[in-house]
Amino acid sequence: MGSLLKKVSFNGFMLLIGLMMIIPFVFMISASLKAPADVFINPLNIIPDEIYTFNYETLFNHDYYFKWYWNSIRVVILTVVFRGAFVTMAAYAFARLEFKGKELLFLLLLSAMMIPQDTTIVARFLLYGIMGLNNTQWAIILPATFDVFFIFLLRQFFMGIPKDLSEAAIIDGASHFGIYFKIMIPLSIPVLITMTLFTFIWTWNDFVNPFIFISDIDKQLVTVGLEYFQLEAGQNYALQMAGSCLIVLIPMALFAFLQKYFIEGITMTGVKG
Amino acid sequence: MKSTTINSKRSLLEKIRLLPYQEKGAAAIFILPFMIGFLLLNIFPIIYSFVISFMDYNTLKPLSEVSFIGFQNYFRIMDDPIALSAFVKSFQYTLVYVPGVMIFGFLLALLLNRTFALRGIARTMILMPYVANVVAVALIWSILLNPTNGPVNQFLSLLGVENLPLWLVGVDTALPTIALINVWQSLAFQTIVFLAAIQGVDKSLYEAAVIDGANKWQKIFHVTLPSISPTTFFLLVTSIIGSFQNYATVRMLTNGGPGNASRVISLNIYEEAFALNHYSYASAQAIVLFLIVLVLTIIQWKGQKRWVHY
Repeated sequence: MGSLLKKVSFNGFMLLIGLMMIIPFVFMISASLKAPADVFINPLNIIPDEIYTFNYETLFNHDYYFKWYWNSIRVVILTVVFRGAFVTMAAYAFARLEFKGKELLFLLLLSAMMIPQDTTIVARFLLYGIMGLNNTQWAIILPATFDVFFIFLLRQFFMGIPKDLSEAAIIDGASHFGIYFKIMIPLSIPVLITMTLFTFIWTWNDFVNPFIFISDIDKQLVTVGLEYFQLEAGQNYALQMAGSCLIVLIPMALFAFLQKYFIEGITMTGVKG
Repeated sequence: MKSTTINSKRSLLEKIRLLPYQEKGAAAIFILPFMIGFLLLNIFPIIYSFVISFMDYNTLKPLSEVSFIGFQNYFRIMDDPIALSAFVKSFQYTLVYVPGVMIFGFLLALLLNRTFALRGIARTMILMPYVANVVAVALIWSILLNPTNGPVNQFLSLLGVENLPLWLVGVDTALPTIALINVWQSLAFQTIVFLAAIQGVDKSLYEAAVIDGANKWQKIFHVTLPSISPTTFFLLVTSIIGSFQNYATVRMLTNGGPGNASRVISLNIYEEAFALNHYSYASAQAIVLFLIVLVLTIIQWKGQKRWVHY
């Protein structure tokens, strides 16, 4: 009896911690369904007396909101494709091929990862300007393509694939391209899902890069777009909350279903790091 | 003569065709595309940051009119009370943020390591803030923490608290409040890594400790913590580096205010560069920030012998 009570109270305790973590989002959803004037009247009243949908109607009629949505999705897709190609190839070389200076090169890549992004933002802005990337979405996509974190992640994964498989393929006359396309890539689907998920979440939530590199409002991505949207909505917090809801809930839903891949990804780079 | 050129041509094509079959050739093909892009877009800017920090690129002008001025931008930081205070604010922020994510991350990992019925759902809830958009998060918290009519203070006054905190608009509370909001948001990362490390601890060590009569707390302090020290070290280093990159949240939550109470160095760098076009001066501040982070990392690297057991 005592142990049952202990179990129930521990579950209750953990649920309480979980609720404390998500209560701001509960409040966000609740406020987005209230009339603007009601947001502050009784904020502890989580379920509104009357569901007010006008905020969402305003949102759906907004000139740019869904344009930003589409822009972000496009940037995510292009980043995943480019990253997928360049990073997996380099990771294959680091995991499976012997060449001069490999250790040193890998160490250099890792130390570059330790440099805070803010250190180079001015230089990147000036250089990408010279390269003609500024105010295009390529200023987001291309630098993100050559990302060391994912080399590290994929190398770790590739090293775990049994060597016998590729050795047998070499005896059968396969080239390294053959091994890469026919053995490594098909076996790497889980880690590629992890990569896609990370890319989605990080690109979707990135503020600094689109803010610095993209100036036209119709080329903008969701995070900076949301800031414009908030400024436009002014004191209308209910509308701001509705705008936030549709941007926050997408990665959350995705994450809830694909959590496993996310946790594996962090674990793989974190613990062995 | 002619046949030899054809031969050498053919052998060149043959060599290219055979490249993917040879280890070195394949390595070059696999790695060069990445390295070229990486050098051009990510390494070159690092070098360029150093170069412009020694220039007088502090107004909008063509690059051809820019010239080197030695260490002047660096000397200027010494006489700039706002920049100096911004460095101090960043340290103060780190002092709240890093212990926050490390301690709460470890505690949550310990709790999630136990088996209980609602484990999956509790874990999902705990991890949620990590994937939320920073602009939305900033908006939600600034409404929640509104000192006069925000829900948090309304709740506190229901509980009978009299001196309600000013949170983001108070001179003394703004910076720690931002740090705690960031703890809440990024905690999931530390929690997951700690959890994986705790799950990897050799079970026989706990059994041995129990035989020696260790209680719950002694097991945590004498078995768990020493066993996961490499992970703790990794998290400490990355959390400190991460704690200096807080431009987005600070900008959204307070924009450095009230006054300059929460003007951290990353905000100062962005303002100098993109609001005032002081590109060289901003780069000099960024390089100083980089050197500080580097020194902190080296100190930790040297210090790990004392407490990290591999």
